Amino acid sequence: MKSAARLIAAALIASTATADYLREEIPLPPGEVMEIGSIALMPDDRVAVATRRGDIWIVDGARGDDLSQVRWKKFARNLHEPLGMFWQDGSLWVTQRPEVTRITDTDADGLADRFETICAEWQIQGDYHEYAFGSTPDKQGNIWVVLCLTGSFTSECPWRGWCVRVTPKGEMIPTCPGIRSPGGIGFNPAGDCFYTDNQGVWNGSSSLKWLKPGSFQGNPTGNRWHELAGLPKPPEPADKSRIVTERERFPELMPPAVIFPHGKVGQSPTAVIADESGGRFGPFTGQVLVGEQTHSQVQRVHLEKINGLYQGAVFHFLDGFQAGIVPMRLTADGQLFVGGTNRGWASRGSKPFTFERVRWKGTTPFEILTMSATRNGFDLSFTAPVDPATAADPASYSMDAWTYIYQADYGSPEVDQTKPVIRKASVSADGRRVSLEIDGLVRGHVHHLAAPGVKSSTGSPLVHAEAWYTLNEIPR
Amino acid sequence: MIRSLFFVLALCCPPLTAQDGTQLYGLYCGACHGADGNGATGGQFPPLAGSPWVAGDEERAIRIVLHGLHGPVDVKGRTYNLEMPPQGAMLPDDQIAAILTHVRASWGNASPAVTPDRVAAIRTAQQQRRTPWTAEELLRDFPLPLEKSALSQLISRSYEWSQPAMPDFATLQSLNTEEEHDGLLDAADAPRKDHFAMTWEGSFTAPADGSYEFLLDADDGAALHLDGKSVVEITGIGPADGSRSKIGRIDLKAGTIPFRAAYYEVAGQEVISAAWRMKGEKGWHWLSREHTGIRPELEPIPIAPENGRPVLYRNFITGTTPRAIGVGFPSGINLAYSADHLAPELLWTGEFLDGTGKWLERGTNPSPPAGENVVKCSSSPALPAAARFRGYELDAAGNPTFISTLGQQIIRDHFEATSSTLTRRLSLNSGSPVRVVISDAFAWELTDDQTGTLGPLELHIEGAATVSQGQPCTLELTPGTVTLTYRWK
Repeated sequence: MKSAARLIAAALIASTATADYLREEIPLPPGEVMEIGSIALMPDDRVAVATRRGDIWIVDGARGDDLSQVRWKKFARNLHEPLGMFWQDGSLWVTQRPEVTRITDTDADGLADRFETICAEWQIQGDYHEYAFGSTPDKQGNIWVVLCLTGSFTSECPWRGWCVRVTPKGEMIPTCPGIRSPGGIGFNPAGDCFYTDNQGVWNGSSSLKWLKPGSFQGNPTGNRWHELAGLPKPPEPADKSRIVTERERFPELMPPAVIFPHGKVGQSPTAVIADESGGRFGPFTGQVLVGEQTHSQVQRVHLEKINGLYQGAVFHFLDGFQAGIVPMRLTADGQLFVGGTNRGWASRGSKPFTFERVRWKGTTPFEILTMSATRNGFDLSFTAPVDPATAADPASYSMDAWTYIYQADYGSPEVDQTKPVIRKASVSADGRRVSLEIDGLVRGHVHHLAAPGVKSSTGSPLVHAEAWYTLNEIPR
Repeated sequence: MIRSLFFVLALCCPPLTAQDGTQLYGLYCGACHGADGNGATGGQFPPLAGSPWVAGDEERAIRIVLHGLHGPVDVKGRTYNLEMPPQGAMLPDDQIAAILTHVRASWGNASPAVTPDRVAAIRTAQQQRRTPWTAEELLRDFPLPLEKSALSQLISRSYEWSQPAMPDFATLQSLNTEEEHDGLLDAADAPRKDHFAMTWEGSFTAPADGSYEFLLDADDGAALHLDGKSVVEITGIGPADGSRSKIGRIDLKAGTIPFRAAYYEVAGQEVISAAWRMKGEKGWHWLSREHTGIRPELEPIPIAPENGRPVLYRNFITGTTPRAIGVGFPSGINLAYSADHLAPELLWTGEFLDGTGKWLERGTNPSPPAGENVVKCSSSPALPAAARFRGYELDAAGNPTFISTLGQQIIRDHFEATSSTLTRRLSLNSGSPVRVVISDAFAWELTDDQTGTLGPLELHIEGAATVSQGQPCTLELTPGTVTLTYRWK
């Protein structure tokens, strides 16, 4: 009987597979509202999740082969909308709306009993927008926190619209002004911190942004708090301008590293994680993965630093999740955990919330691995050798480019469209790289590459034949 | 070659500039409103299929797309409180026209196409608009097309009446009698504004056998009768804003059912609002000119102690500061500790809190204490300005101790409860005395050596402190422990 029940449970766990990745739903504790906002990887293959209602659960077995065997235990209840959690030195460190908290089970009975307020130096007023997304610790042990504006349009109390760092001692270091509405925060493999900001005022489209300390992230709404810390006055950009234009006036204005064109590459980017699995999650190690709430997807980003600034390309990667993705974590052995919720903000998928796992099946998808800017075009690398005939044919590719109005209005249309011309495509001897010579690159524009004509050496088309590269700088 | 290139381009770059409304809708709108127009995830987001908001004059929908919509909105008899983000700065006129043309002609909707010129004209006319619209603003300019009422042969009668209770109409002389051809109840049809009563009599057409629900809201009182039976009633005096609305149920057979509504108005606004639906329907069908009374149909989400342990809750709690920590003891004593003011600011008994305010949709509704006997002891910082909140610990039984520091000094504030008392142990580890505000709302008025009243509470204090009995009531906490026992009188 028991095994029959187990069989049924296993059959009910929906799993879908693309050719190369297996997506599985992790069974949730029955009757619980598991709108997952945070995930932390713990010792002994346990995983902790925090829900938007504030419960922290610890699950055993989520990294095992048989997901019907998972066991959930509630660790703490009713925290204030935690959006960022990690395990360190025997505690869960949680960024919740009012503070960063270190949460410990001191008597090892499975229930949290000590909640230490590490830092509560930013303000909240009670507005529902006052989200605080916290990172894992950086190399100095600091937690980076991005603080959403009070609403879409205002910053009513200190440090709304800023990124701050919280040191292990609990000091708060205001780090970057210019935040609008973040969806997640994390590091690339080099240890630089990035966050996602959502389309809206001063954000023509959503994007992945580099939180270089001292930089201005583009939205002046929360500027005035600089006075509280004796920091320089952040820029007041001109309305209805362009990022490239305002960068000339304000060197500290950080252009988005990678713009995610609205609608085409999702509508609400969220979690930022690095693939540091050393190939155990497929061929993309060293890249950044970004969650997507509205479209319930995971995008893949290749970053490079040109003339001192990060930029790069975003590619579609995984989709079909059952609810809009907010947090993600990737284990060293290549298991991707994602949490999804559609409360308040709708999403694709059939469920109001979900907890899912993705594993690589060991076969290599034929994809554009990287897209790098060159002085006169882009270099592409591929996950598998290309067919030299199609890959060397400029007609296998097309490109269009545009930018956005940098403005106080909500979002922007795509403007200043151009049509760069692909003159030549040169395939490397090993068939892994293609250099595109292109006329008409435009600094500051999103360059949309489509390569539907490119075939692999075995005749397969690309799984995802499009890339969107944000060309902040053209290599000198 | 040219042909194959064209083919390739057509495959990879759908020509969005051709303004394919279906495709644009899928790209920008479908995630929330649903590919089928029914609203995402089974109608958790507002439907556009069959929605009067997109029918009729297209300006209503164009305005929403251009500038967004803020606050509650009733769509097909259900209230949604989400945020429609403005699209006007992103989508050009021809794309908005294509999307709305698609919406107005899909899923059973049958309204005429929208032209880019019309979008452009409204964009120009509204170019000063900076904030999203509210439903109220839009309805003022563009009332929704009305669904045909299920009432017919409706006759209204008005009476003079000034008591805050339903009259015995048989004893009153009618001032005015009218046929209401629109089949809608409307208190504005009375010849006076205050001190009157009304009845409406007619027929309700029930479309099928089954269980029916009737929604009623009124300023001030009203009742509905079907087939001679009382179905739902609002008594007393008060506003028609949904706070007093009620739902009654009755089984009806398909056909024409005798209907009677009664109403009285003492003073102020005059509103009667009524609607019906069959069991299982999400939306309501209106029987009145006014449309109030729909409340988000939320089952309460009681936040309660589990396994005999106190429950803690961190979120915004109405009546204290944003950094609020609620504590609900299994005995039915509750408090809200302010981590801003470092004090238990609210005390109450009974139910602890209801999660519907903060845990549904975007969490925009207030979340007040759910029980009774709410006492607000203080609303200002209880410790010197240099004090910092350091968190809390739970003892083996789950009782919390809130911890603050003042330089090297540590102030611990422990709470536990019996069925009738809340016991608070304040302790200081070392150093000079620390002044603690116990209440800035009440004085502590001694009734014996260590016991006194604190507003509606009885407060007993013993231990390492000197108490100032005036208002504010403060104590000088010296190293050691002082025990405060609060009791509801």
